[in-house]
Amino acid sequence: MLAPLNKGVMQAPLWFGARLPPKSQTQTAQKSKQNLAPRLILFYKDLLFDLFYAIIITMNRHDKIRNFCIVAHIDHGKSTLADRLIEKTGTLAKRDMQNQLLDSMELEREKGITIKLTPTRMLYNYEGQEYELNLIDTPGHVDFTYEVSRSLAACEGAILIVDASQGVEAQTLANAYLALDNNLEILPVINKIDLPSARPEEVKKEIEDVVGIPAMHAPCISAKDGTNIDQVLEMIVKEFPAPKGDENGKLKCLIFDSYYDNFKGAICLVRVFDGSVKVGDKIKMMQTDKTFDVTEVGIFVPNTKPVDVLRAGDVGYLASSIKTIQDVAVGDTITNALAPCLEALPGYKKVQPVVFCGIFPVDGAKYQELKDALEKLKLNDASLQYEPEVSQALGFGFRCGFLGLLHLEIISERIEREFNLDIITTAPGVYYLVHKTNGEVLKLSNPSSLPSPVEIDYIEEPYVKASIFAPPEYVGAIMELCQDKRGIYKDLTYLEEKRVRVDYKLPLGEIIYDFFDSLKSRTKGYASFDYEMAGFERSDLVRVDILLNGEKCDALSIIVHKDKAYARGRALTEKLKKIIPRQLFEVPIQAAIGNKIIARETVSAMRKDVLAKCYGGDITRKRKLLEKQKEGKKRMRKIGSVEIPSEAFMSILKLDDGDK
Amino acid sequence: MSGIYVHIPFCESKCLYCAFASFAGKNSEQKRYFEKLKQEILSSNFTFKVDSIFIGGGTPSSVDKNFIAEILSAIKSKFEVSDKAEITIEANPNSLDREKLEFYKSIGINRLSIGVQSLDNTVLKKLGRLHNHAQVFDALKEAKRAGFENINCDLLLGLENEKYNFLKKEVKLLKKYVTHFSCYMLQVEENTRLEKMVLDGSVKLPSDEKTIENYAKLTKFLQKNGFFQYEISNFAKKGYKCQHNLNYWRRGNYLGFGLGAHSFMDEKRWANGLTFEDYYKGRKSLEEKLTERQIVEEVIMLGLRCEEGFDKQNLLEKGYDIEKNQNFQELKKLQILFEDGGKIKINPAYYGASNLVIEKLI
Repeated sequence: MLAPLNKGVMQAPLWFGARLPPKSQTQTAQKSKQNLAPRLILFYKDLLFDLFYAIIITMNRHDKIRNFCIVAHIDHGKSTLADRLIEKTGTLAKRDMQNQLLDSMELEREKGITIKLTPTRMLYNYEGQEYELNLIDTPGHVDFTYEVSRSLAACEGAILIVDASQGVEAQTLANAYLALDNNLEILPVINKIDLPSARPEEVKKEIEDVVGIPAMHAPCISAKDGTNIDQVLEMIVKEFPAPKGDENGKLKCLIFDSYYDNFKGAICLVRVFDGSVKVGDKIKMMQTDKTFDVTEVGIFVPNTKPVDVLRAGDVGYLASSIKTIQDVAVGDTITNALAPCLEALPGYKKVQPVVFCGIFPVDGAKYQELKDALEKLKLNDASLQYEPEVSQALGFGFRCGFLGLLHLEIISERIEREFNLDIITTAPGVYYLVHKTNGEVLKLSNPSSLPSPVEIDYIEEPYVKASIFAPPEYVGAIMELCQDKRGIYKDLTYLEEKRVRVDYKLPLGEIIYDFFDSLKSRTKGYASFDYEMAGFERSDLVRVDILLNGEKCDALSIIVHKDKAYARGRALTEKLKKIIPRQLFEVPIQAAIGNKIIARETVSAMRKDVLAKCYGGDITRKRKLLEKQKEGKKRMRKIGSVEIPSEAFMSILKLDDGDK
Repeated sequence: MSGIYVHIPFCESKCLYCAFASFAGKNSEQKRYFEKLKQEILSSNFTFKVDSIFIGGGTPSSVDKNFIAEILSAIKSKFEVSDKAEITIEANPNSLDREKLEFYKSIGINRLSIGVQSLDNTVLKKLGRLHNHAQVFDALKEAKRAGFENINCDLLLGLENEKYNFLKKEVKLLKKYVTHFSCYMLQVEENTRLEKMVLDGSVKLPSDEKTIENYAKLTKFLQKNGFFQYEISNFAKKGYKCQHNLNYWRRGNYLGFGLGAHSFMDEKRWANGLTFEDYYKGRKSLEEKLTERQIVEEVIMLGLRCEEGFDKQNLLEKGYDIEKNQNFQELKKLQILFEDGGKIKINPAYYGASNLVIEKLI
């Protein structure tokens, strides 16, 4: 089960790009207004303290700030260490941590992904000096590489967690490189030393050899039981540089994340590099060129707390009645509209979806509800794209674009769980560049909109650069898989005795088909995998259609490489034969390229039924059973006269082992 | 037509597959139960002429025969029972003897429904039945001797190691004694011992396909031997259709007395409580007033179980024009349904898939 998003006490545990606003402290503060006299005293006391604090801070502000993030391969303990740091610095009491931990573990167990938290400011006393540590969390999945890179860009340092028994994995390296690209100081930390299989010294050497950064003095910790957490805090202060930047310069502020608040509008999570920003300032988004008036600035402690001003070096948030999240582009630079800086911060990219699928309501009458759900999700997720789609088989729905398969899965699950809608998702696909003979270039992701073969000159499909890490004994199996997936061999590196890195260029379409599952089963789960987009390549692609009882079912069409068309067609018809229940008549299932049938299966006619005793006049039971049976059919779709269950549409993606 | 059903929830032992309201080892309860049952009959708010009485269970033949006599006389004192009324009692072969049969005959019972299920001793034992092959024929012979003309045998299909030839042999052996066969398919009900045994593999049931194949063959064989299929599971010699059951399918009124018994009067359905306590306290396990839609559903569902089908005009009077149903037209085109003198009937070849057909129409 997905935990309710607003349950965490410390911070809402959040799905990437889909966050709920943290609790506001101003609301609670407003509650106690009855007795004025003591409040006045408190007010002056606060004022004095604030003044004093402000003086201290301005004297050596930068020196006492550390902005950092934690990066790791999946399951190496990122969230646990974050929790431990928050607990150790007393930012939250241990009691309040409990919910957070439980929630995150439940989510992680289910999806195998790490949750991203909103940033947290922790105060840490080191050698008599109080330091302000800003932890910026990053999503730990390849779908969100760009978001990770922007979070990293907001920091000066990165803690690189490596599991003491598993060692360096694909995402360890990918994340370390991202951090290096952003010129961050990297502090390796060896985690899970409490495990019997821990081999910290070897792992340190591995980090040096593979990642190429010094690791001999890396703290060896157990985030689980709290061992050596102090060392990590100390090293954050000692190793990570304090932020630089000119507080009196022109405002230059990086948006590294955003969320939507029902009252305040789109909230920018920002790192100020130069200048300062306060309520009332007129700001400008440098990419969109839109201007807004700042209505609130604040920090995360970890709930939102308004402050007077955010200065160079600070991490915080900024609200300015921005109506849509689309105006808050992650990676964009905020400057002062009246005194703009000359140059935006580097690294901005427009986020483009790479995986697409159709989403339809199981109950056709719920189209509007589905639309509302997507609209609400989009409020918090600028990368989600959708447009209306009409399918002959599935009726009215939406063609949706995602950053990757995980993103797709998260969104479809949220629609089902949070909006209580049953949906049919069609097989995920990529988008193709179709060069027509008349010179026109179409960009399309929906197989049914592919023009007829005579109109097509050639088609290009997206490729990725993939690196796979695994023990050497699996190299053969991995290469075989990559070849089978039309991969182009690039490189093979022995990282150390027990570790090999295999680089391939692979079509993205093959990866989203069943690459992960195949890789996992062929390497007994020992391989790790990471990829980045690598442009388009010309491919010999065809559309395979599925005919049920002679009628084409548009929602089941796929685009596939010519060499694979027969095998996929066969696998599909076999799979559909298992899924489509027997009807009152025989149902032929055919796969076809154009008019040519390439595979055929038959679902034989149904003649069986249970002749149950209609006992003692209990007609009600019989009627209810039939009504239930009828209700069950509501999840079915009719193609011509053939009823097919919703699952059939997803089955294109997943072929079980017996089918391979 | 109107009927009365009386439920006798006592059995000598519970069969493995049984999910009905019946109890073994509750003999101490019998005296009180029959007392309450009599009270229920005598205090009924309804009066009508009774065309059929069905004493079912459980195993009515397993209880003291005088209880049965008391119940019948209670019914007769409260209701006007037609002279030609069909009065059936359910019995197990092992609980029928000459004396009991003669007694039943003497109190006006004129139809026996015997739970034979199978003639394979191994299977009978495994199902938890208490009788064997020989006892079946002893009981049938005694019944004939006592003067019973109208006798039904229940047979179960879909049993372990079922062979069509054996089913055929059963019918051959039984047919000279009986006027009626009810052939049901063994259903694995939830929370029965059978369900456990199927799950742990100690009972291996044939596939549904195999069972339906045997059913289809057996149907033909029964017809050839003069047993006319007038309902999905029921076969009768001419003039021996079960009037009581026909009344259920034709949606005639009926009252049910006893634990868990179902009643249907004026488009209302209700059922008594399913435990002794609930029954004694007058708690109902079901009470519903049928909606127009449900009435239509029932007419179709029950009509299509029977050879006689359902009346199109009757349905139209209830506000439902089946001709406008797309699926109906499709099924007619596929010759799965056909019309015969204003009645809509199911092609007998599709009896086996009747649920699927019915579901498309409701």
